[in-house]
Amino acid sequence: MVKAGLRNGYMLLLFILFSFGLNKIIIMGNDFIAKAADLMLSGQPVDFSSFMVPLLWMIALGTLAAYLKSISGSHYSAMVQRDVRASLGEHLMKLPFSYFDEKGTGSIITRLISDISEMGRFFSEILPELLVNIIVVVTATSYVVEMDAALIIVLFASYPVMLVTADKLSKNMAELMKKMRTFMDTRTELAYDAIQGITVGRSYNLYEQQKRKIYTVVDGMVAQGCRSTRISSLAFVIRNILTTIPIVICYLFALHETMQGKITVGEMLAFTVILSRILYPIGGVVFCINDIRETGVSLKRIQEIYRQEEEGRGGNIHKIPEKSGPIPAIEWRNVDFRYETSKSHPVLNGMSFSIETGEQTAFAGGSGEGKTTIFKLLCGFYERQGGQYFLFGHPFEEWNLEAARSCFSEVSQNVFLFPESIRQNVACGKENATDEEVIEACKNANIHDFIMSLPDGYETLVGERGVRLSGGQRQRISIARAFLKDAPILLLDEPTASVDVESEQKIQEAIERIAAGRTVIVIAHRLSTIKKAKQIYVVSSGRISEAGNHEELLEKQGIYAEMYAKG
Amino acid sequence: MEQSMFKTFSRFMKLMGDRLPIYLAAILVSTIGDSIRRIADSYLIKNIITAAQTGNTENILLLVLGNLGAFVFGILLWRFAIIHYNIEGKTAAGKVEKLVFSKAMRLPMSYYEQNHSSDFMSRLIFDTQKASDIFTSRLRRLLAAIISTVIYLIPMFCFSWELTLCLIVISVLAFVVNTLFTKPLKTAGTKLSDKNNKILEKLTSILSGMELIKIFPVSSKLSKGYNESNREYFQIQKRTNHLSAGLESLNCMFDLTGALAFLGLGVWFVSQGKVTLGELTALYSLYGTFRYAFLDIGMYLPQMMNCIANTEKIFEFLDMEEEPEQWNFEDVRDLSGGFSEDMALTMQNISFSYSGTGDKKILDHFSMEVKRNSFVAITGESGCGKSTLAKLLLGFYPPEKGNILLNGKKYSELTLKDIREQISYVPQEPYLYETTIAENIAYGKYGAGRDEIIAAAKAANAHDFITKLPNGYDTMLGERGNTLSGGERQRIAIARAIIRNTPVMILDEATSALDNESETLVQDAIKSLKGGRTILMIAHRPSSIAAADTVIRVGV
Repeated sequence: MVKAGLRNGYMLLLFILFSFGLNKIIIMGNDFIAKAADLMLSGQPVDFSSFMVPLLWMIALGTLAAYLKSISGSHYSAMVQRDVRASLGEHLMKLPFSYFDEKGTGSIITRLISDISEMGRFFSEILPELLVNIIVVVTATSYVVEMDAALIIVLFASYPVMLVTADKLSKNMAELMKKMRTFMDTRTELAYDAIQGITVGRSYNLYEQQKRKIYTVVDGMVAQGCRSTRISSLAFVIRNILTTIPIVICYLFALHETMQGKITVGEMLAFTVILSRILYPIGGVVFCINDIRETGVSLKRIQEIYRQEEEGRGGNIHKIPEKSGPIPAIEWRNVDFRYETSKSHPVLNGMSFSIETGEQTAFAGGSGEGKTTIFKLLCGFYERQGGQYFLFGHPFEEWNLEAARSCFSEVSQNVFLFPESIRQNVACGKENATDEEVIEACKNANIHDFIMSLPDGYETLVGERGVRLSGGQRQRISIARAFLKDAPILLLDEPTASVDVESEQKIQEAIERIAAGRTVIVIAHRLSTIKKAKQIYVVSSGRISEAGNHEELLEKQGIYAEMYAKG
Repeated sequence: MEQSMFKTFSRFMKLMGDRLPIYLAAILVSTIGDSIRRIADSYLIKNIITAAQTGNTENILLLVLGNLGAFVFGILLWRFAIIHYNIEGKTAAGKVEKLVFSKAMRLPMSYYEQNHSSDFMSRLIFDTQKASDIFTSRLRRLLAAIISTVIYLIPMFCFSWELTLCLIVISVLAFVVNTLFTKPLKTAGTKLSDKNNKILEKLTSILSGMELIKIFPVSSKLSKGYNESNREYFQIQKRTNHLSAGLESLNCMFDLTGALAFLGLGVWFVSQGKVTLGELTALYSLYGTFRYAFLDIGMYLPQMMNCIANTEKIFEFLDMEEEPEQWNFEDVRDLSGGFSEDMALTMQNISFSYSGTGDKKILDHFSMEVKRNSFVAITGESGCGKSTLAKLLLGFYPPEKGNILLNGKKYSELTLKDIREQISYVPQEPYLYETTIAENIAYGKYGAGRDEIIAAAKAANAHDFITKLPNGYDTMLGERGNTLSGGERQRIAIARAIIRNTPVMILDEATSALDNESETLVQDAIKSLKGGRTILMIAHRPSSIAAADTVIRVGV
């Protein structure tokens, strides 16, 4: 971000230059007024035409300078924003998945969006305004100082007081704004909550109760708003009084000088006009603390994202062996893992297993035992803390991450669909997939007929503005993607919710089709479907507690047998 | 168009009730206070310059102090009024929010099923905010600009009416130019925000699809799309920049021209003795303030119009029909002897179709009877109307034909509130509110104590897992209760239904989304409720139907 700010710095320099020029022109104009007034007051005839020509020039130059100043300032802001957004996007894509998984994508998105807009506000409003104010104050002050250096003390004597009060008030305001925002968020959440849960709310007659809750928050919001008006209006009063008093003293001083004959009445006139011009900027320089403080938080957060390390790009690109072979596709030895967010709670605790190439292996076990975590580690989304992981015989660390991931495709009911067309959603399985390939994959995944029944076929949009897909349909789209990717290992997250009989059959067919000849790893939530697996691993307390095929496990009379009996 | 806008506006202002005069007075007084401050400022300059010109400094300190006094008085008056203005304005804005949100909860069920909740809510919140802006800022800004323009003109005319007229001409020219720019600037603004939304959309796609990006080769395509939007945004921004720079430089030109005209005429006037130098300077300083106020009118008027357009949408929403207290549907069959006293629920000849689905009858002359305190399973193919049955029983929709009776009382004679007081409903994907677990359960019974909550949780087989959570019953549930598994959420929902202790309980596919372990726990919980109340269980898995006394098949 700083880099982008500096790289486009020449535009900012131009902006400063033109603002400076514009101010100079205005001050020169004032001098003209002063001279004319003096001439006239001394009783001499005023020759207007001699004034007109330079003044017309000044108008022309001023108009031009104003244009250039505005354009360079806003271009600067646009360029910096463009560069930051571009590099931020690129950087985000390269961050490890764990960064998003642990923080929750939803909260990252909302925060990032507001941070980006705050960043925009900083470069398009706050920074230029601050600079313009400084320039006005500096040019005007230098003009004033020419008259008497002592005036600078008068002019800025109130600054310390102003700084302190501005700082205090702005902190207060920031506090109140934060509270206000919390109120607003709570209000919005409550309203969403009530509407999304309307079935429950309506059938449980919760209307009065929920209404009371929302009303309380709205009342709090109103009270909070009134409180912040008291402070912000006080800030306005103080600012005005503090900036006006020194200027009035300057007026009186100038009057004194005029009486002494040190300056002419015309000069005095110009002096007062200039002073009244800096009345606002002089306070603006100080009172923008609040704005800077607010955006500062956002800018810091963006910087923090930049500081996050990107995923490693090195490693070997191993050749992926044939779809079946003697080397186990995956082998884990004593793998330990715990999430950053809950260090005290190990998820995997010395887990070892081996998955044969070309065979079907299933993981069973209660919810929360770490089955999903196994998938995340397999894909290299997280790094294990201990133990060894071999992918097709090579230690995982030696693999280039992208190459390692190209060995996997995933099929699940909770797949993310981009808010784009169905075709694009399937096509993301393979770079530069042709339409024929997409259709072929969809046919294999048993979803082609459904897609063709939609009014726009493959061009139908998915998501909020398009068609809403059921869990079963989503799963079939993810199967189609997997067909396109044609990876040697298939990760299959079994559906938890049952779908109707017909689609269940369609899904089953499609899965069998894609599983053929591949290494398949299944996470099983319901046991009925994994009987066919060559090897079943039962996961409990972060390790493999039982292993074997369906019959062997039943004979053991252990956890598996108990789970199976319940189902 | 203009007239309807005015109508909307006056209807909106009437929401203030008898506080309206106070509110308007506060606007007037705050504007006067602010104007006094500015005018005092210009008189101060006038006095000082006049003193410099005439050399008469006898009373100057007194005069300056007097001006400062007026300045302070003006600003304090402003503060006093602005605080009251804000109290009234914000209270009124709160009133609007209350009206809108309570309305949002009272619409007929069909509305929520046809409109995606987050879609209509975000639109609603946006419109409400825009409309409330009228109370909290827009109206005052516009009125203040108009009132202060008029006020400033009084001293300006006193100083010199000829010069003031000349300045007005320049201001009107500037006004016209600014107005000409309003429309293209607004169009550009809309375009910009559209493009900005597109960037954000692409960014959201990238972030929420991160898992896919890591596994599938989509990153280059996504970043291409993102960079494309970023570039397009930049291009439009560049074009807009020229437009706003043009406006800024034109304003600068008027500013400088104003100064020129002022100089030329002013100096001539002074030499003619028509005006003093002090008055001239004061006039010019006041003109600076006047000019901004005057241009503000042109800026705030369209903004105000936009807000009124949002207000119109809010009123449209508020005028929508609500769910009635009770349905008036016609009984087609004579009831005499048609039902038996010990039936908890009776449905007779029910026909129903959702409007808008092409008159496809979901239920066609459907009848059933459910004995008091029995456990009935309702099964059937998906799409046969099982869930519709639950919705009709809850009074979410009125049947087109037929009768529903609850404990022998006709639905058409009961209020919806009464009906729902008797029935506890557990939907397939139960909604848990974003609050603590305890409160979620307590929603079943207003003011329920902790013991009651725990007892209900125990009955629902939920107590054990709840106490294992770090914060136990005070655990906050995240967005859509995501922190819990499906089975756990289901059991909390059942506890919520149990605590109500209603004679009838309807469970809609309560176990279909669960894994084996959770299913057993939920099943056990349901079984333990048997006997004490009438249970209607909608299900299609054999394991869940097994415990039922009776099985009713819906559909063919």
